[in-house]
Amino acid sequence: MRRFLTLALLAILLVGLSFSAERVLKVLMPIGGGYTIEDQEAIAKEFEKDHPGVKIEMEFVGWEELWDKIITSIGAGAAPDVMYIGSRWIPALADMGAIIPLDEYIKPEKKAMYYDTVWNTVTYKGHIWGVVRAMSTKVFIYNKKLFEEKGVKIPTNWDELLEAAKKIYDPDKGIYGIAMCGKKFVSTVTQFQQYLYANDGKIVDEKGNVVINDEKAVKALEFYKELSKYAQPGIVEWKREDLIKLFETGKVGMYIDHVHNARRALEKGVDVGFFLIPGGPDSHKPYATVIVTDCISITSQSKNRDLAVEFINYMTSFEKQAEWDLKLGFVPPMVKEKDLPEFQKWYWKPYIEAIKYGYPEAVGIKDWEGVQEAVLDAIQSVLLGVSDAKTALDQAARIIEILQK
Amino acid sequence: MSSKKTVPYVLIMPLLLAFAIFMIYPLYKIVETSFYKVSFLNPTARLFVGFDNYRWLLNFKVFNPKYSYFVTALGKSLIWVAGSVLLKVIIGMAGALLLNSKFLAGRKVYRALVIVPWAIPWAMSSMMWAWTLNSQFGVVNSIMMKLNLIEKPITFLSDPTMAFATTMVVDAWVGLPFMIIMFLSGLQSIPDTLYEAAIMDGANEISSFFKITLPLMKPVILTVSLLSLVWTFNSFDIIWILTRGGPLRATETLPIAIYNTSFRLIRFGGIGKASAMTVVQVLIVTLISIFYIRTLEKGEIR
Repeated sequence: MRRFLTLALLAILLVGLSFSAERVLKVLMPIGGGYTIEDQEAIAKEFEKDHPGVKIEMEFVGWEELWDKIITSIGAGAAPDVMYIGSRWIPALADMGAIIPLDEYIKPEKKAMYYDTVWNTVTYKGHIWGVVRAMSTKVFIYNKKLFEEKGVKIPTNWDELLEAAKKIYDPDKGIYGIAMCGKKFVSTVTQFQQYLYANDGKIVDEKGNVVINDEKAVKALEFYKELSKYAQPGIVEWKREDLIKLFETGKVGMYIDHVHNARRALEKGVDVGFFLIPGGPDSHKPYATVIVTDCISITSQSKNRDLAVEFINYMTSFEKQAEWDLKLGFVPPMVKEKDLPEFQKWYWKPYIEAIKYGYPEAVGIKDWEGVQEAVLDAIQSVLLGVSDAKTALDQAARIIEILQK
Repeated sequence: MSSKKTVPYVLIMPLLLAFAIFMIYPLYKIVETSFYKVSFLNPTARLFVGFDNYRWLLNFKVFNPKYSYFVTALGKSLIWVAGSVLLKVIIGMAGALLLNSKFLAGRKVYRALVIVPWAIPWAMSSMMWAWTLNSQFGVVNSIMMKLNLIEKPITFLSDPTMAFATTMVVDAWVGLPFMIIMFLSGLQSIPDTLYEAAIMDGANEISSFFKITLPLMKPVILTVSLLSLVWTFNSFDIIWILTRGGPLRATETLPIAIYNTSFRLIRFGGIGKASAMTVVQVLIVTLISIFYIRTLEKGEIR
């Protein structure tokens, strides 16, 4: 009897072991800024249901800690298989051999689903390094009531923009023409870049030359400083992510932000309107915007490449991508998404329209984190009155030139 | 006879082992890494560079042509730490004296409340302070304006010098409970009979403090301020959350600079250089501590 039981137990154990020999895929995802654990775990569970024998181990980390988490897990030799990354990090990660090129896994049909600009943001040294998961454009969100009260029309150029901010600015009543940011954070660089691109300026041009200190860029930074005179005080302590708190009190005329924050202001009772960021004096286009994308990549340490590719394709099917964009309020990166009824709503239109005037955030920049430091120093020193725009940007250019070598 | 000699060693073996694993090994690793050029993004590609990383500490002048990145951060650390520790010792002593005085009603309540800054996770208290000091929504500005102490809100974290002072004060706030509790227990160990004898000899409050309290508290003050010095030198969270080392690097103390060198300056920096910075910081803090202990103990030798 005892021998029979022992054998039975052994048999069960062996059968059990063979079932637990499942494949595990480690995935690193961010939370915050609209991304939640529940939404992302739901995707993992659905994938597991459709793929028996596969287990998705999702790890979550706050957006602000994502870069550090990526670096430390790669450094410790414990990199995940699939990583969600800001596309601006691709050059640094690719140069260090931390992620693999994905050209062979992306079929032409898949490629055709997205806007061309979208693929530009993930291309480096002639290869594609990620599949775009989230895209954003930005436009001006304005308070219709304040505009009407002061008789301000929607600005179509920089002179009108400055006038609008001046007219609404009433510090004694705590009313500010524009909300701006200057804290040492990546979003400050993006906010400045809106004006930089609007004036046909760039950090690095198509040929790889550092042009952050040319006339067009200097004008953009000088304009940023001019505008700041009609913004809330102490803009250097604000990051863009917190400006919504100011705007939703109804005390701010206008500012540049995502559509989901505009909807938040609407819910708080602000009568919200939109206008595209007007081109500057040196611009050839009427409007401009910065295109920021995040993408999903595969690490070089991964031993499950095929499974990783399957998971990425699963996450970025048309249905799943549309579901994701609608839920989180991100601009749809796939061309056909704009035909969906939800994206026809009035608050989506300006953001989708802005795509054609957009330029990618970090094209041609080899070491984004280092460039960010240099540009932030320039922006802060001009905002704080420590330096003029030309000197500040010359210093930034010196540093960026070394970083681009 | 041999068992008498070995038993003590056997008893402290677990502690020595823990010491070796958690202190000696990491320290050794840091010193070793400081002689290599290595990045987090490609950890297996290590290149031996000898003392190059140490030379970099003095030569890297990309952000400031006059002083190197390391030297600027070190300078900021020295001033910031001195300021914060001074605040902690002075206010800590004052707080302890207050909590020890027999005339303060509700002492037990205050003694419990004093723990609060220490108990809250530093990340949370930093975020709380960031919003408390905010020029639009902050309570500090709104109270000061209502009391007509200021006309316009003060932007605590946006002016470089102001931000330096503000982060120093927030750091002192976080460290105060420890100082107060330590000083309080020191004060309570001074026998009342000494004060009674002094009063009979005609001493007042102030001379009692300087002639009895302070000298008897010297060992406590020395130990506690030294601990505080070392801990404050490593303070990272508070500055990171309040200003991220800005504005314009005003609050970029050594811990922030070391972090930036490892994680943010991918092309300029690296773990090797960050390790070199760490090694030098440890040496400097050790030297300061030795010098501090010697100077304060000099008074003991009569």
